[in-house]
Amino acid sequence: MIRIEEVEYIYPNGCKALDGISLEIEKGEVVALMGENGAGKTTLLKHLNGLLKPTKGRVLINGTDTREATIASLSKKVGLVFQNAEDMFFSSTVWEEVAFALRNFGYEEEVVRKRVEWALKFMELEKYADQSPFILSGGEKKRLALAIILAWSPDVVALDEPTTGQDQLQKEKLMEMIKLLNTQGRTVIVSSHDVEFIAQLRPRIILMKQGRIIADGRAEEIFLEEELLRSCNLLPPQIVSLTTRLEFIGIKPSLSHPKHVAEEILSKLGKPAP
Amino acid sequence: MATMLQGLQFYPGKSIVHRLDPRVKLFLSSALLITTLLYLEVTITTLIIAIEAILAIISRTMKRWIKTVYGAAPLVIAVFAMNYLVRSFSYGEFFSPTGLYESFAAAYRLIALLASFSIFFLTTTPEELGMTLTKFKIPYMYTFAFVSAIRFTPVLAEELQTIMDAQRSRGLELDKGGPLAKIRGYIPILVPLIVNVLRRSYELAEAMEVKCFGASKKRTFLKELKMSSKDFAALAMITLFLGSAIYLRFFYPLRIP
Repeated sequence: MIRIEEVEYIYPNGCKALDGISLEIEKGEVVALMGENGAGKTTLLKHLNGLLKPTKGRVLINGTDTREATIASLSKKVGLVFQNAEDMFFSSTVWEEVAFALRNFGYEEEVVRKRVEWALKFMELEKYADQSPFILSGGEKKRLALAIILAWSPDVVALDEPTTGQDQLQKEKLMEMIKLLNTQGRTVIVSSHDVEFIAQLRPRIILMKQGRIIADGRAEEIFLEEELLRSCNLLPPQIVSLTTRLEFIGIKPSLSHPKHVAEEILSKLGKPAP
Repeated sequence: MATMLQGLQFYPGKSIVHRLDPRVKLFLSSALLITTLLYLEVTITTLIIAIEAILAIISRTMKRWIKTVYGAAPLVIAVFAMNYLVRSFSYGEFFSPTGLYESFAAAYRLIALLASFSIFFLTTTPEELGMTLTKFKIPYMYTFAFVSAIRFTPVLAEELQTIMDAQRSRGLELDKGGPLAKIRGYIPILVPLIVNVLRRSYELAEAMEVKCFGASKKRTFLKELKMSSKDFAALAMITLFLGSAIYLRFFYPLRIP
């Protein structure tokens, strides 16, 4: 599906943002790119739809080299949701905003109508269809940005820092959306340093530092390695910190649900769960 | 569009040119400009461009200085074409050597003119520019507006790039279609950019009010410009250069090829 081979990227100002990245992402995977600011997460995402072309190495999307395809044709396969949703709003209504990309991709007006309606409904935004995108709240703007991308139904949805500035409710909605997209067979790639959010999502984690991949594995394993996380300025999820500190009473450090951990503690204490 | 804005970006440096007092640098650029205007001869223009190139080499800004000159290419070509056309008609003959020579001299001179001030802008920080304006008794409010405009250019360039990326990810193809379609293609880029700029300026205004901007009538400054002996030496050299250029032009007309 996505093949990244020995990719190196140097920005025009000489900053080396990616330094030998090799990676394969299969169809239907949920992947989180984690790492501190400046680790190269966004740069890597921008390689997936050809906004940036590798200085060295190559990126293959469904076997197509990104250097040999237009951004528009790649974007049809890989939908990239930018961190700051406001960077893309310009239409007078939410409806038009979603229709813009579909018209760029040359869909029939009838198909455009159906898809816009579907995307707005999916993101629970249909009541704002005739309103300006600028009056939406932060969370709604984020959902609109996602609706815009989902409207053309890309195989891969890549989200850049989707949780920044979102409250708990919005995060939970976002989590549901990601899981739903995954059950539809889509590949979802999330860049984030929101440990708790990713811990709940439990994806495959790719840990990046200074333009390199330093770890690649399941969330359940990576989140147990405190040293590794600290080297990337990340802290383990709270549930891992808690279970690690309770290891001496026989509780296994893990990324379990708090409910299960509570039951385990209670059983160790010999008290029945209420 | 984004690269054009990035060309205005200042990069800090430590060369002897960077460290000169900005007023001296302003005088230097002005002296080069005036000298260029005084002479039409290609030899003198070449000399001035050579001096500017040497300054660019000393200040290690050669690459970006050349970029500025390249950027002016369309303008230079236009000036040459216009001159040539007008001269051809007034002389009544095309391909006349004098006409060609004079049009070339005019276009060539334009390069020297544009390059003179790029030396100043490439080696002066926005802060120094502000301090210079303050020394010239310009009210701080205007100085501040001017300096922040310069300082926000790189931020704007970055924002423009992000917006272009976001819209291209939505299938916007800027180089497709006829001229009208191309202009329409810029709407999705300009609207978010203007919205962001307005929002940013409100934020800046609020941040300034929080910090009591304009609360006291008389401002004092932490950093003030002071001329060092190096600056005076440079000043003397530039004055000598400009003085002789004026003298040679008006009182002792040299025969220059």
